[in-house]
Amino acid sequence: MTLVAASAVPSAKATRAWRARPGLMIAGALAFCAIVYLLPMLSLFGWAFQGPAGTGASLAQLSRLIGDDTYHYAFFTTFKIAAITTLICALIGYPYAYLMATTGPRLAMLLTAAVMIPFWTSVLARSLAWMILLGRKGIVNEWLTGWGLLERPAALLFNSIGVQIGMVHVLLPFMVLPIWSILSRLDPGLPRAARSLGASPAAAFIHVTLPLSLPGLAAGATLVFMFAIGFYITPALLGGPNDLTIASLIEMVVRDLLDWPFGAMLSLALLGLVALVFACGAAFAGAGRIAGMEGR
Amino acid sequence: MTDRPGLSRHPGLSRRSVLLGGAGASLTIASPFVHVTPARADKGEIVVAGWGGSRTTAMREVMFTPFEKATGIRVRDDGPPEAAKVKAMVDSGNVTWDILDTDIPAILAMVNAKLLEPIDYSKLDKARLGKIPPVLHHPYGLGHLIYSFNIVYNTKAYPNGTQPKTWADVWDGVKFKGARSFPFRGGLSPQLEFAAIADGVPADKVYPLDIERAWASHDKLRPLVTKWYANHAEAIQLLSSGEIDICCTIGPRGLVAKKDGAPIDVEFAGGKLAPDNWAIVKGARNAEAVYQFLNFVIDGKVQAELAKRIPYGPSSQDAFAHLSEAEAKQLNTSPDNLAKQFWTDIDWWGKTAENGKTNNENQIERYARWMVKRG
Repeated sequence: MTLVAASAVPSAKATRAWRARPGLMIAGALAFCAIVYLLPMLSLFGWAFQGPAGTGASLAQLSRLIGDDTYHYAFFTTFKIAAITTLICALIGYPYAYLMATTGPRLAMLLTAAVMIPFWTSVLARSLAWMILLGRKGIVNEWLTGWGLLERPAALLFNSIGVQIGMVHVLLPFMVLPIWSILSRLDPGLPRAARSLGASPAAAFIHVTLPLSLPGLAAGATLVFMFAIGFYITPALLGGPNDLTIASLIEMVVRDLLDWPFGAMLSLALLGLVALVFACGAAFAGAGRIAGMEGR
Repeated sequence: MTDRPGLSRHPGLSRRSVLLGGAGASLTIASPFVHVTPARADKGEIVVAGWGGSRTTAMREVMFTPFEKATGIRVRDDGPPEAAKVKAMVDSGNVTWDILDTDIPAILAMVNAKLLEPIDYSKLDKARLGKIPPVLHHPYGLGHLIYSFNIVYNTKAYPNGTQPKTWADVWDGVKFKGARSFPFRGGLSPQLEFAAIADGVPADKVYPLDIERAWASHDKLRPLVTKWYANHAEAIQLLSSGEIDICCTIGPRGLVAKKDGAPIDVEFAGGKLAPDNWAIVKGARNAEAVYQFLNFVIDGKVQAELAKRIPYGPSSQDAFAHLSEAEAKQLNTSPDNLAKQFWTDIDWWGKTAENGKTNNENQIERYARWMVKRG
């Protein structure tokens, strides 16, 4: 408060100093980030390297994490779900974004709206809606059995099928939009030039369009993967016992067992693994972009 | 940088002061556990942390408002009374809750983390206390409102009394083909008592639990369960939509749904009773008012009024003197229903095992392990 009061009367000199050093403003923003992001991260580190019941510095939490394969299974499940979601999103999202970027303005508008409108609905509401649609007596199964395609209702819910349907639906926009933004800015003359030089449409796509759009694909994949790692509600509602994610276990450890040091260790481990994946992704995307530029 | 005179009309307000003020405000918002200290009136104020919704509305009507009128002490409600929030308050020395309304697993976790004040039973009205079964006089929590895990079922799948009536029935996938759902996560312990009973242990001999026998029986349940639900509202939703037929969940919640017209009913036989308790937060500032409040709300008549609004069993047997027979039949602590069920053994779940953790903590963790590995 004294700081605010002291600066409340600006002198001409102070204003000049302010203008002369724009760095001050950046310093303010940095300080803000440090307090809001860095300090909590540091205290997370502090928690993670405490012994049980808050006793001094120790590696007890780390050795517990290494020794208990329950958590390894959950990490594996989490990464597996995220990887499959990313793959499915890419397979659906790329053609979709391609169509969005190449079609006429009206259809493009419609396609954009179709992606964006569910994007603005709450994840919880969408997951609950899938429970109603995919259930034993849900609409999908009623149709399938009603048309005689299936004798008995298919198990679409409370297993990994349900989880994938729910997660792909939520995360697809994060794949479509980055790819679309690259494809829509791509010079249409480039594939046309390839065609005029004798390339088949498929060859023009594989050798020209696809390499140039890889950065968009990499950005989309990174985003989808990151979000999928931290997903919590959708696997919990739509999944079965084999879809227990690390986020669920972190919640259990922090909220039910009140074991904050171990919870911090689990969170740090997750952060470390995600950072690793991100580094790999960045290296790959960088390589892809370089290859694309050489092709040009 | 160019000077933009229109930015601030107030001559005394520089951009820097706006920035600093903004940063300060953001800091306050950024720390989720910082609670604004309530202004305490002269007569004092107590803050009761509960679960909100219709439960808090009913409590306000029959407990908080009459208490305010009788004593002049204001009652503010807040919540939900999560152990993690209490821990953040006590750790930061900024305790703004006085009384919690919460269940035993949460209380045990908080006792272990030294977040609660023991209840001084000498400060409570002997006559009123005497009407509450001694099993509910926990050193850190006084049972006031009873929930129970029961066999809750869809009446379309099992009409006219054809529902499973014992835990052995629930474990029998041949005789009862329906889809099952059991709780997992959300701070819920595994239902090991039912597993033991289904395996042939008599209900009055369940404790001390034969843990290995119970888990072996729990293994047999696994293929019959369609959904391990994470919260009770979800369970009721699954039951009423017909997605599942038999559910081990909170009986009173089933009764709320039944009252709202859902095809759901509750089998009280074999149920496991457990209390929601009044507990006192460590560092509660108004001890005298806290005990005045507790003495007020453990009165059987007050509890009966609450039970008319939400179908959870009153802990005081005196409450049934103020309820009709039809009303009593729907409550899990009516003398008839009480005889069909058993009490959760708080001491067993709270007992510290060899590894320094409580049975409750160990079994919750083992539940996660069981869930992950047998998939």
